[in-house]
Amino acid sequence: MNAERVAVVGIGQTKYSAVRGDVSLPGLLREAAYRALEDAQLTMDDIDAVVVGKAPDFFEGVMMPETYLADALGAVGKPLFRVHTAGSVGGSTALVAASHVQAGLHQRVLTLAWEQQSVSEAMWALSFPVPFRQQLVAGAGGYFAPFIREYMRRSGAPDDVGVLVALKDRLNALKNPYAHLHETEITYDSVKDSFMLWEPIRYSETCPSSDGAVAMVLAAESAAEASAAASGVPPAWVQGTSMRSEPATASGRDQISPRAGSQCAADVFAQAGISDPLQDIDMVEMYVPFSWYEPMWLENLGFAPEGDGWKMTESGRTAMDGDLPVNCSGGVLSSNPIGASGMIRFAEAALQVRNRAGAHQVDGVRRALGHAYGGAGQFFAMWVVGTDKP
Amino acid sequence: MGDPSSTQEVLRAPLTIGYDFKRTTGPVIGAFFTALAEHRVLAIRDTRSRVLCPPVEYDPDSGDPLTEMLEVRPEGTVTTWSWVSTIREGQPLQEPHALAMIRLDGADTSMLHVIDCGSPEAISTGARVRIRWSAEPAEGFANIECFELLEEDRDG
Repeated sequence: MNAERVAVVGIGQTKYSAVRGDVSLPGLLREAAYRALEDAQLTMDDIDAVVVGKAPDFFEGVMMPETYLADALGAVGKPLFRVHTAGSVGGSTALVAASHVQAGLHQRVLTLAWEQQSVSEAMWALSFPVPFRQQLVAGAGGYFAPFIREYMRRSGAPDDVGVLVALKDRLNALKNPYAHLHETEITYDSVKDSFMLWEPIRYSETCPSSDGAVAMVLAAESAAEASAAASGVPPAWVQGTSMRSEPATASGRDQISPRAGSQCAADVFAQAGISDPLQDIDMVEMYVPFSWYEPMWLENLGFAPEGDGWKMTESGRTAMDGDLPVNCSGGVLSSNPIGASGMIRFAEAALQVRNRAGAHQVDGVRRALGHAYGGAGQFFAMWVVGTDKP
Repeated sequence: MGDPSSTQEVLRAPLTIGYDFKRTTGPVIGAFFTALAEHRVLAIRDTRSRVLCPPVEYDPDSGDPLTEMLEVRPEGTVTTWSWVSTIREGQPLQEPHALAMIRLDGADTSMLHVIDCGSPEAISTGARVRIRWSAEPAEGFANIECFELLEEDRDG
């Protein structure tokens, strides 16, 4: 592939919280956008195009918000457009933005994703009855719970692996100032004793509803080097990007380990020259909205043999000090502005590569995977970022 | 049998969606709506010193945040208009009326609103109008019921 090199040179996040009532929607986005520009030592004048992403319009009740953001995002006189791929949208938005640099169209692209869950009710938005279509009566958790139960049956995993994931991620979140949930009192027992929402998913094993936005500045090689020289922070080079889709329901589809997910991972690792992901990837920011998806995705992505993902979690290998730290930021389980959640994974992977993750930084991250999924586990977006140019 | 296009009856069902969404207005639009409830109209000065009404949060050219809010008059001048002669359901007035761009005194930009003025002969570009406030307190823009001609114009 004769693509131009592209790197992350700026990252900006808002504090994630249940309600950001003090700002308008454009004001919220702007906060993340300008933090990313400041991080990149750039101004809006340096940006060639803006690519935004968010989850379905019903999640906020604002139809096509991208049409009134040009002034707030400094996009007057520039291309501004939106990407949408359900929950994976934050990831696919970053990939679309990257592709504009890789294609040689633009030198510097600002990309951002957001959600204001406080203005609506995602459960409602996912569940209203559309004639002649299957109704998701219990939102995303109710939809995914039976697949988790099936994973437990197939793998023979003990009942408390989900508790361990939730405890790990929420403890990691205490090290991330942007995380929504900072549960200083959390314990194994408090997670295990929390209300059973959709068996086997407990309240404390479920993502929160968050407001927030995340932004990144992506730059072509010379622009990335100029930004890095100005900011003193190394770029995170994009070493591979991939997206895959598949139908929500289809004969033979494995909902526990969707083929689109494993193919997407194989593709992104091949692009990055990775033959042994467990060996070559130093940390993962993985889209885990319900605790059990950590072991499930470990297998789907190729970090563990089928049926063994839970053993990595149980033995602590995915903890901050394990050999494959997963979700050092606290993950989706600690902050979930839905449309942004995928891009937060991508941005946190880049933060680790740039050695800028602060208290939740893992030592010596040379390559990290950002992962997002959406819809009925049917849309996947991933990138590998690293300290070295591809 | 076998030709789907010949099917006589196609299943149909209504899809009616309703949810009480919330909004966050932010410091500029929030102040504008709050003032309307007090029967005052706020505008904002942009980076080129133009007075924008309704106000916007960010400069339309540079994108810089705007902060200098100021009050403009509830009277203004019609800059262009069209006539709505046939009233159908859901229109803002139950009488024939004008849809007009109105530049309030003190502002450099115009806003779209409704003028209750009886007949198209009563209105012209340059006509002077003023806000008719709603009789009952309402939310945001709904505090402006419509515009009406200033007495000086009616007489003259």
